Amino acid sequence: MNQTTTAATSPITGLKRLLNGPWTPAAIMVLAFVAASMAFFAINGREPVGLFFEMVRGGFGDGYSFSETLVKTSPILLTALAIALPARLGLISVGAEGQLYLGALFGTGTVLLAFDQPGWLLMPLMLAGAMVGGAVWGIVPALLKTRLGVNETISTLLLNYVGILMVSFVVHGPWKNPNSLGWPSTVEFPEGAILPTFFDTRVHMGLVFGIVAAMILHVLVTRSRWGLGLQVSRSNPRVGATAGISYEKNVLLVMAIGGLLAGLAGIAEASVIQNRLQDGLATGYGLTGFLVAWLSGQHFLRIIPLSILMGGLMASADSLQLYAQLPKASADILQAVLFIIVLAVGGLWRRRTMA
Amino acid sequence: MKKPLSILLASTLLATSISAMAETKVGFVYVGPKSDYGYNYAQDQGRLYLEEHLEDVETLYFENIPENADVQRVMERMIRSGVEIVFPTSYGYLDHALKVAEKYPDVHFAHSGGLKTSDNLMTYFAEIDQAMYLAGIAAGMTTETNKLGFIAAHPIPQVLRNINAFTRGARSVNPEVTTSVIWTSGWSDPSKESEAAEALIDNGADVLTGHVDSPINYVQVAEERGVYSVGYHADASKFAPEGWLVGAVWNWGPMMVDIVESVEDGTWESQHLRGDLLTGAAQLSDFGSAVSDDTIAEVEERRQMIMDEEYQVWAGPITGQDGKVIVAEGDTMTLQETEKMDFLVEGVEGRLP
Amino acid sequence: MEMIIIEVLSLLFAALRSATPVLAVVLGEIMTQRSGVINLGVEGQMLMGAMTGFAVTAITGDPWLGVVAACGAGILLSLVHVVLVLGCGANQIASGIAVMILGGGLSAYYGIPFVGEKINSFDSFGGSGIGSIPLIGRFLGATTPTVLLTLISIPVISLFLYRTRSGLHWRSVGESSEITRNLGHSPVPYQFAAIVFGGLMSGFAGAALAVDYTSNWVEHMTAGRGLVAVGLVIVARWNPWYALPAALLFGVSEALNLRLQSWGVDVSQYLLATLPYLIPLVVLMLSFRGLKAGGGGMPMGLKAVFTNS
Repeated sequence: MNQTTTAATSPITGLKRLLNGPWTPAAIMVLAFVAASMAFFAINGREPVGLFFEMVRGGFGDGYSFSETLVKTSPILLTALAIALPARLGLISVGAEGQLYLGALFGTGTVLLAFDQPGWLLMPLMLAGAMVGGAVWGIVPALLKTRLGVNETISTLLLNYVGILMVSFVVHGPWKNPNSLGWPSTVEFPEGAILPTFFDTRVHMGLVFGIVAAMILHVLVTRSRWGLGLQVSRSNPRVGATAGISYEKNVLLVMAIGGLLAGLAGIAEASVIQNRLQDGLATGYGLTGFLVAWLSGQHFLRIIPLSILMGGLMASADSLQLYAQLPKASADILQAVLFIIVLAVGGLWRRRTMA
Repeated sequence: MKKPLSILLASTLLATSISAMAETKVGFVYVGPKSDYGYNYAQDQGRLYLEEHLEDVETLYFENIPENADVQRVMERMIRSGVEIVFPTSYGYLDHALKVAEKYPDVHFAHSGGLKTSDNLMTYFAEIDQAMYLAGIAAGMTTETNKLGFIAAHPIPQVLRNINAFTRGARSVNPEVTTSVIWTSGWSDPSKESEAAEALIDNGADVLTGHVDSPINYVQVAEERGVYSVGYHADASKFAPEGWLVGAVWNWGPMMVDIVESVEDGTWESQHLRGDLLTGAAQLSDFGSAVSDDTIAEVEERRQMIMDEEYQVWAGPITGQDGKVIVAEGDTMTLQETEKMDFLVEGVEGRLP
Repeated sequence: MEMIIIEVLSLLFAALRSATPVLAVVLGEIMTQRSGVINLGVEGQMLMGAMTGFAVTAITGDPWLGVVAACGAGILLSLVHVVLVLGCGANQIASGIAVMILGGGLSAYYGIPFVGEKINSFDSFGGSGIGSIPLIGRFLGATTPTVLLTLISIPVISLFLYRTRSGLHWRSVGESSEITRNLGHSPVPYQFAAIVFGGLMSGFAGAALAVDYTSNWVEHMTAGRGLVAVGLVIVARWNPWYALPAALLFGVSEALNLRLQSWGVDVSQYLLATLPYLIPLVVLMLSFRGLKAGGGGMPMGLKAVFTNS
């Protein structure tokens, strides 16, 4: 008896359960993005289905494409972490790009100072320099916030521009390579200051740094007392203070660690990709990192696949120019459409589950 | 022609690009938008000329590719889709292009400017400073305040060559002339460029020129404020019907056709190919109505001298800003020396970082 | 002496001209934030305004039509923020950045045919007799309609905000949407209006930049000025009257960056170029007492955006 009733209702409840499952919003997002991008291609007179598949292939279709996707992923991953960690304390930092540049600046400075040292010494020194540089660009807004009450979103925003211009200053001025034929860049890094790459591709250690950092942060924030303290501090600094958790100290800490990670992204680009410091190192990564951090809900492990997806989207946008001669701006439009869909579906879903 | 099954699923556009295998595919990489009414626009005009004049050539392009991790990827993608000749058109692409060239020895590269080559990478450029020198003569003969203004993006050799050539041209006919330089620290920022133009005019300059992505901004401000202007990269005379003097412009098409043909008939060689006023890759635009007949006559005479190689822009004596002689009388700067220029000449006001 | 006065005046008016687009964005964003919503998308709205304004002026030949179209484009794009934030309850900062990227992409894409077009812009007031006023006449004469319109909007906005009933509601929504609800008003219409007004002002700002000030369209021509404007809102302490000095501060530092060079100051141009970003930051630092005590006038509802997101 009972068995028959369950059998009769189960397809419906099963469907309901499936629709309420955790993967439903993600599936809706993917479908909506596929539909929206195909619509965009069709509106602009391109054949939609073929072009969409060409795009997917350009990001993930073969070994080479995927390796280039991972090259893009590294700085996105590290800068996303640099945004997500402060966000765990309720801080809205947009400063990953400036921190990335400062990391490249300090890291390069260290290389220039320790130029003749052997690789086993030079490499760690360079990375340490980069981390200090990025951390400095995190600590400055942190201090401005805790000491002077300056909003961190604004200070990190303004400091981005300053960081980028400081790199321009040194490569056009004091650090310009006298033998670069007039071109604004530092001297080429010695062999010992080039981060290792994998399997004959351009995928480099930066990716490993990012994945390891994401895992460590995840454990620290979800499992440690310190992580719990962040949670308390975020919801109410005063309660935290009575429990002996210093909000000020945590602000400094999360901004410094975030900056340090973005700094690593910067030196990795300078070392592996450019082999030197020059202008236009990694424009725009800070912004993409910010979006990935927010899309992940500041969840460090989710940041890893999201960064790969975003790296893939950016690298695969090549197909739009290559096969359909769509202007570069079309990639920006698709990126924005993706974010809008994710924000809309995610927001509506949250509302639904709350109601 | 027999098509593989998968092609049927792909777009017709893709299918045509694959079936057209007899053609030589040529790929271009631009650092900015191809429609910038400036440097990249000029390169893209060359691409269109190439398509028009060589029937067996098909072109591809990537625009807005920054000089970072993206460059190598897009060049490799082009090559993987069948491109046999690559034109990386921005100076900062050179080292990236050399790396890709090493990886694909069968592909030919022609890089815009620079002094490095490899077995399958040549460079091409044009001595547009000859045209800027002539424009300087027109400016020097027209100015009443003896102050010229130059809006520059970054202190790189190409820009310094133009500032120096313009100033030397002006001072060759009017030794009283000085050129003030304002750096905008960016290739394209209309608001800053307009503001810099206003500042130069407030400071007394009555002929403006510059080297930023597009001449439109400073030419328009000059016209509005009733002073003269000299264009660069693209002919901007329509923006200044009253005050336009002349401009230095590119014409890459014929040079690009030569390069592609040399690959096709096997005569290609790794070299530094340089065009100039004589070959027509660098040109002087038409004169505006503000230029007097005397001035035109003078400029034309000097143009002929340069084209006949009776006169060279970078022949000594060349004096630096501090008054020290950089090139002695009787010496002439070599291609290598001019293309890594790192000084400003006497008569230029402004500093190098 | 007169030389110095002229130099200072020309610097100030140069600053005013180049700061006008920024000022318009700051004013719009003040109104948006006063309702408890922050919108970083103004950068993209500005670009849409700039492109649309330029395109319409190029097609019709009438800069006024261009300005109107620009305002419309800014409003249209701001509706994306409305839908995401008010309709879907999305995070405001993330939504703003999505709008910013969308505006940048759409304007670059659809602006391509208009690059290198020549448009008829506004005449300055120089011909109307103002130009003959001694000393300041030549500077006043060089101002244009968008500068004047932006300046006029300051008293209009503050009258609305501080002297009308709707303004009171508007501000109370920004302080606490809870209380507003308890008083029987819905905060949503006010926040809707606030975001749309921000769209209008940033679209107008785009036209002020592309149609009036530079008469030129180049993709991404705002170069971050919209974002900086959002920062300047804090310098202005959410007060429309302080928006003028805040925007001028940015304008003066940008003009100084260029003018110091033409005066022959011996500092690297790249360091000078940091002035427009460092000077507002220093001002924020110097005004720290007020900031720490009262949040610098930040609407309480906006504070919630920063702490509970």
